[in-house]
Amino acid sequence: MSAPDDAAVGNRKGSRRAIAFVLRLREAGVLVFLAALGTLFAVLTNTFLTTQNLTTVASSAAILAIAACAQAVVLLTRNLDVSVGAMMGFAAYLTADFAARHPAIAPWQLVLIPLAIGAALGAINGLLVAYGKVPALIATLGTMSLYRGLTYVYAHGQEVTSSRLPPWMLTSVDARIAGVPLLAAAATAIVVIVWAFLQYFPWGRRIYAVGSNPLAAFYFGLRAERVVLMAYTLCGVLCGAAGLLYAARVGTVTVVLASGWEMSSLAAAVIGGVSVSGGAGSVIGAALGAVVLATIDNGLVLLAVPEFWRMFIQGVAIVAAVAADAAIASGIRASLRTRGAK
Amino acid sequence: MKDDRTKRPVRPQWPAWEMTLAALIVAAGVWSTTLSPYYLSLDQIFGSTRFFIIPGLLALGLAMVVSLGEIDISLASTVAVGTVTLSKLSMFGVPIGFAAAAVVAIGALLGTLNGVLAARFGLPSLAVTLGAMGAYRGLAFIVGSEVGYTDFNDSYRWLGATRLFDDIVPVSLLAFAAVAVAVWLLMHRTVFGRYCFSIGLNRDASWFAGVNVVKIKICAYALASALAGLAAVVWVGQYGSARGDNADGSILFVVTAVVLGGMDINGGRGTIGGVVLALMLLGTLRNGMGLANIGGPTQTVVLGVLLVGGVLRPAVAAALARLRRPDNADV
Repeated sequence: MSAPDDAAVGNRKGSRRAIAFVLRLREAGVLVFLAALGTLFAVLTNTFLTTQNLTTVASSAAILAIAACAQAVVLLTRNLDVSVGAMMGFAAYLTADFAARHPAIAPWQLVLIPLAIGAALGAINGLLVAYGKVPALIATLGTMSLYRGLTYVYAHGQEVTSSRLPPWMLTSVDARIAGVPLLAAAATAIVVIVWAFLQYFPWGRRIYAVGSNPLAAFYFGLRAERVVLMAYTLCGVLCGAAGLLYAARVGTVTVVLASGWEMSSLAAAVIGGVSVSGGAGSVIGAALGAVVLATIDNGLVLLAVPEFWRMFIQGVAIVAAVAADAAIASGIRASLRTRGAK
Repeated sequence: MKDDRTKRPVRPQWPAWEMTLAALIVAAGVWSTTLSPYYLSLDQIFGSTRFFIIPGLLALGLAMVVSLGEIDISLASTVAVGTVTLSKLSMFGVPIGFAAAAVVAIGALLGTLNGVLAARFGLPSLAVTLGAMGAYRGLAFIVGSEVGYTDFNDSYRWLGATRLFDDIVPVSLLAFAAVAVAVWLLMHRTVFGRYCFSIGLNRDASWFAGVNVVKIKICAYALASALAGLAAVVWVGQYGSARGDNADGSILFVVTAVVLGGMDINGGRGTIGGVVLALMLLGTLRNGMGLANIGGPTQTVVLGVLLVGGVLRPAVAAALARLRRPDNADV
């Protein structure tokens, strides 16, 4: 507290380095946890470490990673989106239905449809939260039922079977590039692009700025409303992409597609170190969290554990990850105090 | 001057929103009578209360938590834990009095867990109860497996299925009314209730004023989940079955009722009376939509629109007020 000025400055630098180290540690922690999980499952079962099984894990992690990335973008602004699953379902059903009616449509044209739908749905969320000043949970809980209900109404109890989808849609998700599933490659590309956008572009940095300190961002001259609206729109676009991939992967598109994914995406993001109080974490972490969840799922299946344990473990994991983040945050505060830099 | 002011009674403010809700209930009732000739019978009207009693008990509990500026979205999952626990107890032939007490206690325990995590350790209540929502739902499936249990005897079903006075008034409605009065007294006539609202308005100021913020918050969470336990007992009577997916998705109705009832989701403002009125409105609407053969998905859409509309209401009112007085735009 009473350290000389220059020493305090030096300490402040040191503590800042310590914070950066801890934050980096958070993602390294996820990797260590993942390695531990992998070792555990490899010891307990003899099928976990086969190429075929690991490819399965990668494919199921891929779509969840995109959804977690979408959730993370919104979480970074200190908000939340529980309509992620509903947006995926809405975009997936409409796209699949369109593809079934127009089988001759070119792939690049079809891909644009879910992205546009996602952008529109996400923008509605963003308008409600940013300009309507509706708390994020309430707004997206409302739109979740709205989007899912509209999907039901549109579908009239029908479903789009895989035989009605264009064949290229179904084969492309199973394709491989040099042994790597295309799905995993696409997800990695999307996550890296979003990460680079958040890391190196002014608009991306604004998302972090608004999330970590809205007041400071306001005095700096940032329009928080626009930033939040953009984050929700980006979230919607990513959900549209995830919805299309999910539809292509499962083949038969029903109205309940991706229900419950708001929970999984949030769990993945939070496990990956994205803070629910905004401004901290990265989409790479969120994607790693998705890999952790997919690994747990796969391991539980291999161990023949009943499916409901998955829900229980996912819920406990959210609480544990939030508690870990709170502990890290208070640790950082404590270290700042003892180092004499306020 | 001073005497004057103390002598003159404070003019009671018209609770504008509650009046609006009451008018809307009447309007919804009138709309319902046009839909079906069978609407206007005591039997039908009392029977339709089943649409809001279970979510109503949850909404009363949630209103307490919301008054603190917190949220608990795990309540529906707590109901499922309650119903499957009742099915296990019924299997072993435990008398209903004991079983009901046990389920309410288990509810209180789960709520305390939420409360300790959110209040004692300062974790964001949304994230904690979202995790708890999944964990308790999983727990309900683990306890009850996915096969439903339907062999409840009459004593277990009494609270939810019986109707008194010539088979008209459901016991569960009386129970709901009693709970509503109790919660109203608790929130608007006791120190505990004033503390709840004061914490919701300004947590730090309440702390400096000597309020045990952590204890009050944990109590509110525990009470809310205990009511979810009671709702589980009603559920078993009403539906005669218990399964892990009971009450899944009903949290939307509950949150809508609380928000539409005028509780400020950021805490500190709102009335229990408003929540009860909102519940009656939603129940009447749901009953009417059922009579009009409007499907479940469309009902969900209507519910979502009402929820968003309910939260947008203060913002819209403020915007209208600004339009009316352009000179005060910056105030």
